[in-house]
Amino acid sequence: MAITSSTERAGGEPVDAALELRGIDKVYPGGVHAVAGVDLDVFPGEIHALCGENGAGKTTLASIAAGKLKATAGTVVARGNVGLVHQHFELVDRLRVWENVVLGREPRRGAELDRAAARAEVERLSREYGLAVDPDAVVETLPVGIAQRVELLRELARDPAVLILDEPTAVLAPAEIDALFATVRALAQRGTAVLIITHKLQEVVAHTSRITVMRAGKVVARLETGRTNVDDIARAMVGGELPELAARLEIAQHQALAVHGLSAGESSLAVRDASFEVRGGEIVGVAGVEGNGQSALADALAGVIPYRGTIELGGVVLPAGDPAQRIACGIRTIPQDRRREALVLPWSIVENAALGDQRSPSLRRGATVDRKAARELAKRIVERFDVRTPSVDTSVSELSGGNQQKVVVGRALAHDPKFLLVYQPTRGIDVGAAALVQSRLIEARNAGVAVLLISFELDEVLALSDRVIVMYRGSIVGTFERGSIDRARIGSLMAGAGLQAEPVVESA
Amino acid sequence: MSAFQDFVVLSLVKAAPLIYAALAGVICERAGILNIALEGQLTVGAFAAVAVSFATGNPVVGLLAGVAAGALVGLLLGVAATRFGVDQIVAGTGINLLALGGAAFGLTVVFGQPGASAEVPALGVTGERIIVIGAFVAAVLLHLGLYRTPWGLRTRASGENPRAVHSAGIDPRNVRLVATLLGGALAGLGGVYLSLAELDLYSDGMTAGRGFIALAAVIFGRWTPLGATGAALGFGALAALQFVLQRSGVPSEFMQALPYLAALAALTGIAGRARAPQADGVPYAEV
Amino acid sequence: MIRGLWIGFGLAVVAAAAMLLAGANPLLGFWALFRGALGGERQISETLVQTTSLLFPSLAVAFAFRAGLFNIGAEGQLVIGGLAAGVIGARLDTSGLISIPILLVAGAAGGAAWGSIAGILRARFGGNEVIATLMLNIIAALLANYLVVGPLHSPGAAGAETAELPHSSWLPTLLPDTRLTVALLIALALAFVLRWVFDRTVFGYELRAAGDAPEAARRAGIDLAKTAFVAMALSGAMAGLGGATIVTGVLHRFNVSLSPGYGFIAIAVALVGDLDPLKIIIASFAFGILQSGALTMQALAHVPKDVVSFVEGLAIVALAARRFVAGRKQMTAVAQE
Repeated sequence: MAITSSTERAGGEPVDAALELRGIDKVYPGGVHAVAGVDLDVFPGEIHALCGENGAGKTTLASIAAGKLKATAGTVVARGNVGLVHQHFELVDRLRVWENVVLGREPRRGAELDRAAARAEVERLSREYGLAVDPDAVVETLPVGIAQRVELLRELARDPAVLILDEPTAVLAPAEIDALFATVRALAQRGTAVLIITHKLQEVVAHTSRITVMRAGKVVARLETGRTNVDDIARAMVGGELPELAARLEIAQHQALAVHGLSAGESSLAVRDASFEVRGGEIVGVAGVEGNGQSALADALAGVIPYRGTIELGGVVLPAGDPAQRIACGIRTIPQDRRREALVLPWSIVENAALGDQRSPSLRRGATVDRKAARELAKRIVERFDVRTPSVDTSVSELSGGNQQKVVVGRALAHDPKFLLVYQPTRGIDVGAAALVQSRLIEARNAGVAVLLISFELDEVLALSDRVIVMYRGSIVGTFERGSIDRARIGSLMAGAGLQAEPVVESA
Repeated sequence: MSAFQDFVVLSLVKAAPLIYAALAGVICERAGILNIALEGQLTVGAFAAVAVSFATGNPVVGLLAGVAAGALVGLLLGVAATRFGVDQIVAGTGINLLALGGAAFGLTVVFGQPGASAEVPALGVTGERIIVIGAFVAAVLLHLGLYRTPWGLRTRASGENPRAVHSAGIDPRNVRLVATLLGGALAGLGGVYLSLAELDLYSDGMTAGRGFIALAAVIFGRWTPLGATGAALGFGALAALQFVLQRSGVPSEFMQALPYLAALAALTGIAGRARAPQADGVPYAEV
Repeated sequence: MIRGLWIGFGLAVVAAAAMLLAGANPLLGFWALFRGALGGERQISETLVQTTSLLFPSLAVAFAFRAGLFNIGAEGQLVIGGLAAGVIGARLDTSGLISIPILLVAGAAGGAAWGSIAGILRARFGGNEVIATLMLNIIAALLANYLVVGPLHSPGAAGAETAELPHSSWLPTLLPDTRLTVALLIALALAFVLRWVFDRTVFGYELRAAGDAPEAARRAGIDLAKTAFVAMALSGAMAGLGGATIVTGVLHRFNVSLSPGYGFIAIAVALVGDLDPLKIIIASFAFGILQSGALTMQALAHVPKDVVSFVEGLAIVALAARRFVAGRKQMTAVAQE
């Protein structure tokens, strides 16, 4: 969908767009066509949303707009500086706030770095934009929400005409999200053109004025926020009806995993004294903002970090620090970062299918790997999980994120696990694959598997879980049965509002 | 006490080339380049200095040639690592090999004989002293440079998170290239010291693994200029000790092995768990 | 493949330039090189001797690299292996059927022990094995020198070497009156065994996983520390075995200069061979040609033989851009997510 003119009619006065993209194309050396023929305008003073599922090309487009990446074709016209706040911050952790903010534009006194001037600049910007931060703090000691401010300040220091925010609320608690949008609104009022990349449609509807929807690298819809709703936007993003999930069955539950007083990890990312159980035939969802101890919890359960407390499976205490033992007992994990933690990227699907079970009698013949059995397993996974691939011998690196994740999930479920630990199962994959993965998790639950689901997408947690536990600063601050889910309550617990003596327990 | 004074002087003499090489290591690693090629840079610096001094009759020109040669080899490593994505450790090993081979080859070509060069005009006592003092000056300058200047900030940032540097509008690969160039020049100067200041000739293998001891000094010194200099001084003292204990029953090989054994010990964390720059040795690929 | 050919061509040009610089005729130089390497039965046998001496450490280096470890210490492990074989061999006088296996095992054990030091530093302390193996190379040379001249000095030996081994302990030759011995067959067999280990065995599977994706391997129940240790020990054993074959087959004694840098050239060979044992056989042969032809090149065409090590070093730099130990690096590929 092309744009013909770049002037706005707001209030009757024609105004030029602050950012004008025409015919943007980006093809990567591997042949991936990330962005195809995209036109986009962002006007001064507007808050414009760029929506699309993961892999739609939004981040690539943003990088091109900000001048960090060269387009293969097309033009970028920006009337002023373009600032970009990344989804995964690009800050130098071991340096201080002021060092990060002035990097590249350092104030000088002769040949030396003018530290006083740099600090003063940070303080000035903090006041001006209402983003409080200690200039001398070392970035790696800052909580995520504050670290984001540092990146924001760095971009704002260049007095941008256009500010692009890539998934800015992914790591924020509800209160911090409100603060961020207050800042964004203030910026827009000053005349900055703001482009927000997000898939959080509730936020889009609440805070933006126009929406551009991308799918598979192209623009598929241009909407006015006032004239549309969440469902329409979602449909545009997906290109049709949203797939449905598998049905949940009423089943009897039995004791499976029990965790007592689990503490692991370091400092602000630790999990503290967590106790809960996951029964066979239920999905327990862990709700919480990223960085509140979920990774420590997951790693302790997976056996890859030391911990205090006990973890029992079927009444038997598991030895600490032994992933191999976990696997032998019937524990399977779907880790957070599939490319690094679940798959060996250069290897084929067949070889990856055997990973974790390479010593089990079903895949081994003496000292050698049973290639035939591994092949059969790979074929079963590909079929059952609809993995789109030319063959099982294809290298996993050539699969899309969604198909990679299907392989990981398929492998985890292939040996009838007793307990399944799932961490961010639909991160970075397309909606179709996400729905399939979620359905398979429900089916596993129906078949009696005990599932612990950790996800930063509250919607996902609420859609899949029989029971929700909320984590904040490493502690469990609330438990909710499916029948009595109170989204607002959960949200405030996620932000730390419920720090009372007893954790909240809501049952149906 | 004169013997003690001799010991101190000898320690300084032995430490000087190590300090230069260690400083080179610090600059490179802080920028994110793991420089295994220090040995090769010392070698080419030493050889080029002798060859040019021989050709021109002027040891100062020889000194400049040695520095330039070291810088050139540094550039080779830098370009290979930043533009061609060559693995830094393997490239460094290759450079060491080619430096040794090239210098041996050069010996035959320039001097007509393998093994060692003829004696050439050298830098003399004054020159030697200047270079030794220069090592400490360089250490202080590097310290100030890394922590007080914009260049230093960008260099340190490139070694920790090149993406962030790129975000800020600077190409971390260029920063790394400059670092390897500077580092190579420093290491080259260290090599010049070996052949034109301490002695007045070049011989096969005269660098004797100093480039590797320098790496150990960088680790001991926790990747800081002053720390690495201190560690290098320590190693220099060890080498001087070897002379003193020569007459005692301690086998010379053991004394010679001490710096390397100390480096091994450093790896066990005895020197404390300092952290290397986060992006040390990791290539940065722009798309 | 094409890129490899371009690199080879470029290296040849550089070599030619170096020859010109030395005042020699490049054409004569190349001709002398190949004539010296392949010009006759004796020449070919010498080339194969060099091939064998390179094959052991190259397989060792490739083995470690596949496990994600940079074993830059093959040279030192080779020396220690040779030392063990030489010191024991000079004192052992019995039937070859007994002595030869003992000496080869001693060599492998010595190399394994030396490699294990780096292995422990890595597994137990997380110490960088690059630095460790580099240091150990130098320590090995110093240690060998000390032992052979001092405490383990064999009566009748002059200089930094052991006495000659009794004839019964000499490796049987494949071609009479040459230095080519059954060591070549052992090396070839080792290559095939390694290929099988990588492709078929569970051990090889876990090793490759540790090298290609250490985090995923850890979560799959693979003990990374143990794998690192075993890989370094086995790698050292292979290099040490190579040292033992040089001592029992080529020199018939241990001499501290038994290796003209095989352990370092092995890195180039391993890279050229793509870390694949079978391709490494071919690469070893190519480099063997360079090594054995170099002396003839020096004698006939007056090209200093060091040009070969210069070119080999350049080859390493040029070749290291290939897909390498993937798991060790951050994936700097663009995230599609």
